[in-house]
Amino acid sequence: MFARSALGRSDQLVTALNSQKRQFVLTAATTALGSLLFSEDNRLASQMEKGLLHNKNAENSASIPNTANKFFSRPEAEYPGHVPLYTFEKMLMFLGSSVGAYTHPERNEFIVALGESTAITPVLRRLQHQMLSDPVGRQILRERPRMTSTSLDLEHLRELPDNTIGKTYVKWLDKEGVSPDTRVEVKYIDNEELAYIYQRYRECHDFYHAITGLPIIIEGEISVKVFEYMNIGIPMSGLGALFAPLRLKKSQKERLYNIYYPWAFKSGLNSKPLINVYWENILEEDIDEFRKTMGIEQPPDLRNLRKEYFKKLKEAKKIV
Amino acid sequence: MQDIVVIGGGPAGLSLLAALKSSPKTRHLSCTLIEGSSLQSVRDFLVEPPEEYTNRVVSLTPKSVEFMQQKVGNWDFIKQDRVRFYDNIVAYDSQDNDARIEFDATQIGAGVLAVMCENINIQSSLIGRLNELGMDDSTTILDNTKVIDITSPIHHDLDQHDLNEIDVNSGKSDLDWPIVKLSTGESIQARLLVGCDGYNSPVRKFAGIESRGWQYNTFGVVATIKMQYEDHRSIGWQRFLSTGPLAILPLSEDNATIVWSSTPWLSELLLKVNPDIFPHLINAGMTLEEVDLKYIYSMLDKDPNDFKVLDEIQWRLSKIDIKSLEENYPLPVVELIQNSRARFPLKLSHADTYVAPRVALVGDAAHTIHPLAGQGLNMGQSDVGFLVDALEKGIERGLDIGSTMVLDSYVANAWPGNHMMLGVCDKLHKVFTTDFGPVVLLRGLGIKSLNMAESVKDLMIKAISGR
Repeated sequence: MFARSALGRSDQLVTALNSQKRQFVLTAATTALGSLLFSEDNRLASQMEKGLLHNKNAENSASIPNTANKFFSRPEAEYPGHVPLYTFEKMLMFLGSSVGAYTHPERNEFIVALGESTAITPVLRRLQHQMLSDPVGRQILRERPRMTSTSLDLEHLRELPDNTIGKTYVKWLDKEGVSPDTRVEVKYIDNEELAYIYQRYRECHDFYHAITGLPIIIEGEISVKVFEYMNIGIPMSGLGALFAPLRLKKSQKERLYNIYYPWAFKSGLNSKPLINVYWENILEEDIDEFRKTMGIEQPPDLRNLRKEYFKKLKEAKKIV
Repeated sequence: MQDIVVIGGGPAGLSLLAALKSSPKTRHLSCTLIEGSSLQSVRDFLVEPPEEYTNRVVSLTPKSVEFMQQKVGNWDFIKQDRVRFYDNIVAYDSQDNDARIEFDATQIGAGVLAVMCENINIQSSLIGRLNELGMDDSTTILDNTKVIDITSPIHHDLDQHDLNEIDVNSGKSDLDWPIVKLSTGESIQARLLVGCDGYNSPVRKFAGIESRGWQYNTFGVVATIKMQYEDHRSIGWQRFLSTGPLAILPLSEDNATIVWSSTPWLSELLLKVNPDIFPHLINAGMTLEEVDLKYIYSMLDKDPNDFKVLDEIQWRLSKIDIKSLEENYPLPVVELIQNSRARFPLKLSHADTYVAPRVALVGDAAHTIHPLAGQGLNMGQSDVGFLVDALEKGIERGLDIGSTMVLDSYVANAWPGNHMMLGVCDKLHKVFTTDFGPVVLLRGLGIKSLNMAESVKDLMIKAISGR
């Protein structure tokens, strides 16, 4: 009885042993294969093949960050603060910022991002050509002046005679309550000279307001954008000119289309390229003289027009 | 009376004379070569060449060199230390720096793509060869002798032809051979008159052969220069500017020659620019963008001695990646050899035919070409080869070598190839001297894809090197 049961047990034992043995073989084989494929030797060998093990010279160490993640790597920055983007990233940025800029034109980050994502190379190259063809433009590109409240010495500008460009500029800054420091650094443009050109355009934007006397309320901003687009050809200004008025009130649209657009087209096209103006050097010059040499007419004062319009509206209501 | 009178002592005329005298079949022909100016400098060059390079430098194809070695035999007299062999040509577009094409002769298993050689070196080697062959009565070179007139004989009354009564000086002759009246007062009557007398060929006019073509309204400015140091890469560089191609072709050691095809206004400017600025201007032309070049030209136009341009050039050069500057562009030019600048008008012309009864045209008298592919002199060499072949065949068959029956095979062989080459260079010139956006885009695309299509490139290399 015991023997039978022992036999039966041993039968079970054998089958159990057999299945256990098979498991063992499979595991052993996998381990052996795995250690062959992923062994330390192999790892070292492939590292050596990539030149990561020995000869860690400057050239190799420079290429390590790129191989660190082979699925994603950013190209190296071309200038301090540069963030190189891939084309699809730029397109996403354009999509996002254009929707944002349309719905919230008062938010600077959208305008900034829209500007940089639409400032495509051919446009910037055209600007670069325009600057390189002009002595002053070349001087700007060589000296690379930056505009800040310190570099401009606003206190000195306040003491200038009334009719100078500097004084007009400061008066405009004070009236609108802005400062030259509010300009954001260019980050996404891939060539350092082109980036500077865009930075320059951005920093000079306030001067365009100042010489035309247009305020930073949305109508003024749109008018300056049209003027800029006609003169400089930055695509964002063009987009602004096309789409921004769509969300305005009827009276605002009328003012724009009847007064400011015609003015902007005419002045923008007729005047010399504003990107080639070395503002820092002509702050003490006469503003009327400057407008004359550049071929810019001054548009009617927008704030006054608005005031008159509202006054009329009130009077009309009173009568009613 | 002479069997052959060659007018013009340039490379084409001298090659023809030397080739005729080298061939056993044509050696016996009595030949006279007439050259208006003095060949003394050419003879002096043979004995003692000057230290500096002369500014008239031509590109020879391996085929032309082979011809000189085997048919004419003047290659041994070439001053070998003054020629430079090339195996590589790099051509690139000023409006699109990525659009470049490299021709590498080693690709087709040949070591040489072209050979740069001074014009005078070729001329003097031919004189050397003729001296070696022996200047006997059947070979005469008359230099300092101008051709005053070429006429057809007044009478050639075939009924009473008495050869002894010929009075060539009076312009009367019983033979229909053309009479060449010389400034020495002498007149020569020729069984065959060969015009190697250049673009304004009097021989062509005499024969009444129409030459068609057009002026490019472009001048080729040439100069001899020194590079920073000897470039061992042996590359001929050519950059297509909107004003015309600019080529730097290194000679031996640190010497190099340039050909800058340019508008009349620019060519004048290039000639009058201060000699110390000129090398920098070439560097700018080889590397900087069109917009910078235009600005620099306008500065120099106001004052050709304006050294401020050096600053401008340096500044713009600093914008180019240094590694790319070393790899993709020629070495900097540092010096202009004094008085080596000259300019000549560029034009396309092709004679309707190269022969008339008792007349043949060779070289520039028959065709002039834009220098952008460096084919002008080589076309002349191939003309000489075909003409000598035709004459050999005529003599073998006992024909009169002045008859068109003999000469026609020369035209049949030489004309079509020349015409194709003229057409190709003409189109290249036209495609590259425009800054019209779509054309720039298309040609950039064309160059880039051509540079990748190895088999097509191999064919082009063969065409350039004349194989």
